[in-house]
Amino acid sequence: MVIGKIVKSNSHIDYVCQVYGPGEVQQPPSPGHYAFGTFVRVELLESRWLVGIIHNTLLHNPEFGRLGPRLSPKQELAVFTPDYLNEKATLVGIAAVGTMNTAGQVVQGVPSLAASSDALVERMTGMQIRSFHQQEDSPPRLAYAPLLLAQGSPLAPHLLSRVVAQLMSLFPEEIQLLTVIQDDLIWKTQIGPLGGVM
Amino acid sequence: MSKQQPVGLTKGPGATPREFTFVSQDRDYTLKSGEFVVYHVDVDDQDRTILARITKRQPLRVYPDAFLSDPGVNPDDVAGLLGYRSRAHELFEVSATVIGYYDGDMGDFIDPRVPPRLGLPIYLATDAELTHALNKKRKGDVGAAHIGSLLDREKDRVPIVLDLRAITSTHLVIVASTGSGKSYLAAALVEEMMKPNNRAAVLIVDPHSEYGTLAEMVHLEAFVEAAYRPEVQVFRPGQVKVRASALTLEDLCHLLPDLSEKMEYLLRRAYYEVRQRSQEKKHRYDRWTLEDLETCLRELAKGGSEEKGERYGSTADALIWRLKSVLERSTIFDDSKNANLPALFRPGRCSILQLNEVDEREQQVMVATILRRLFRARLLTTKGRVRQGSELCLPFPVFVLIEEAHRFAPATGDVVSKGILKQVLSEGRKFGLAVGLVSQRPGKLDGDVLSLCGTQFILRVVNPLDQARLAESVETVGREQMDELPALSKGQVVIAGEAVSTPLTCRVRFRYTPHGAETKDAPAEWMTFFDQGGAENPPLSEGEDHVADGSTES
Repeated sequence: MVIGKIVKSNSHIDYVCQVYGPGEVQQPPSPGHYAFGTFVRVELLESRWLVGIIHNTLLHNPEFGRLGPRLSPKQELAVFTPDYLNEKATLVGIAAVGTMNTAGQVVQGVPSLAASSDALVERMTGMQIRSFHQQEDSPPRLAYAPLLLAQGSPLAPHLLSRVVAQLMSLFPEEIQLLTVIQDDLIWKTQIGPLGGVM
Repeated sequence: MSKQQPVGLTKGPGATPREFTFVSQDRDYTLKSGEFVVYHVDVDDQDRTILARITKRQPLRVYPDAFLSDPGVNPDDVAGLLGYRSRAHELFEVSATVIGYYDGDMGDFIDPRVPPRLGLPIYLATDAELTHALNKKRKGDVGAAHIGSLLDREKDRVPIVLDLRAITSTHLVIVASTGSGKSYLAAALVEEMMKPNNRAAVLIVDPHSEYGTLAEMVHLEAFVEAAYRPEVQVFRPGQVKVRASALTLEDLCHLLPDLSEKMEYLLRRAYYEVRQRSQEKKHRYDRWTLEDLETCLRELAKGGSEEKGERYGSTADALIWRLKSVLERSTIFDDSKNANLPALFRPGRCSILQLNEVDEREQQVMVATILRRLFRARLLTTKGRVRQGSELCLPFPVFVLIEEAHRFAPATGDVVSKGILKQVLSEGRKFGLAVGLVSQRPGKLDGDVLSLCGTQFILRVVNPLDQARLAESVETVGREQMDELPALSKGQVVIAGEAVSTPLTCRVRFRYTPHGAETKDAPAEWMTFFDQGGAENPPLSEGEDHVADGSTES
């Protein structure tokens, strides 16, 4: 499902996607479709995608802080200045964590190619997420984890924890292995800030 | 030059000028503490192989503790999950101490005095390199004693061959906790001394009768060559005598402890008087008897002037009673017989002096008198002041192995044997008189005695006091090897000092002769008692203890 398009980038691996609002597409995404930790893919070239994870949400509202009198009541705006209503938008930050193509080739880590403006952002299915993390019979990989943690964001460990939680449901056979990482992240995010030491 | 692949590359200097560090993956886990490595450098335009010993290794890369939180999950798999799949995840910084390159002409290691440059390949020393560098002698050489193999390598890959010449000139000490194999090692060393390539003159002072099995040497092929076959004489307690007149005043005082000042005074006067009379009569100081001493004591008691307060009657009686009770009852003192040194010592002969039924003070006096006479005999013989055939003529170097050495040179208290033992240790080299000391309590052994022994064999030592005494008295053994002592197993020994090129850890070889000090298996013997039907319950009190040889003890 397409949830929006790339409108900006902050770095080679940090993109901003504007989520489709009402009227822009036939079926605009609901908040659950662009939740924190959601895997998305952005089309790069034909049959090749940038894989990213939603790591931030920003609400764009030009009306906020405008305290002067209104010449037109809100009901009339839809008639006289419909563009004004569309200036409100939901923006999500996407951390690029790798690339994949239709042939199943996956690269985890800093992608070499960058996404272009207006590139469509699509929510990934469970099967696609699984393919991104596991190739054929080899064990799953989470090689982009250090990249996420290196962002320096206070949300990074929480994001990784959310990712691991998804992988635990996608790879039930590897739950013991993933639990080792998950427990460490939970300790760091839940117990560490309260004085837990490790 | 080593043909193998290098095991690491030098990183830089270590904590001391002779230390350096290198980095290694050590995939085969070969770089253990104590292991030997080499590097190659040019010294004075010559390619030299520098030997170094590993002293420490510490990991440079370690997994986060969290990776180790679940025993059911391999941390490698966790690392793999995060995209790290290299086999070479372990990396170590290894510290090594330079020993030097072996100079055949000097017969010793020469320190290059320059640490290896950065990035120099480090190789594991080959067995051949170690065999060449660690041993001053080759197996079968005259003066070679093959005592075992290097512990850091597979059994028998690097033989350890000691330089007997060093041992027999600068003495040795064997220390270990009980049951660690010290008498086994000592016997193996004696076996080497008695082989056809050495043919030593050895006396073993054996307070526990553990060395009697060495007598089997005479039947074994390894000890026989052409006309040579070693002799082993085992002397039961009482077979070797000490003539009463060979005792010094100090010996007598030691045998009669806690003498009052008056008794000591009277004994001193009588002792010098009886020696004087002996000299006048027989032109020898040492030909008096216990009866002569007794007579002299009685005469002194009678001749005392009462006006001067010289009333010695009761003192003389008490002294005579004590002298008789000690010397007459003893199995080792005799009025006329004395241990004949040429009968005890001869090249190719091993005499074993069993002292298991002899009182400890008498043992000390016996060792003191034998060492005194040996010292005198070797001194006079080397200076040509004794005629051929004399009982003090010993025209060859001799070696004396003393078990339970802490009895004869204790750290605290004076015993008669300590002084002569120190004299032998410090001066014996000049006269070809060498001593080997064996002790299970180095902490109770005199510190000077311990440090005067040029070669040290240290087996497992657990007691902290013993370890501290070794650390302060044995300067040739490094701190790292001292730390290894509690972890050594039976038959593993740290050898340091004159007989080896560098301190090393050795696995003692199997003995040719059976071991005579096996530890008793008490539970098994208790079971055997019942399997054999047990024995009748004896009465609670009985007049006499019947001993196996038919005699009785009251």
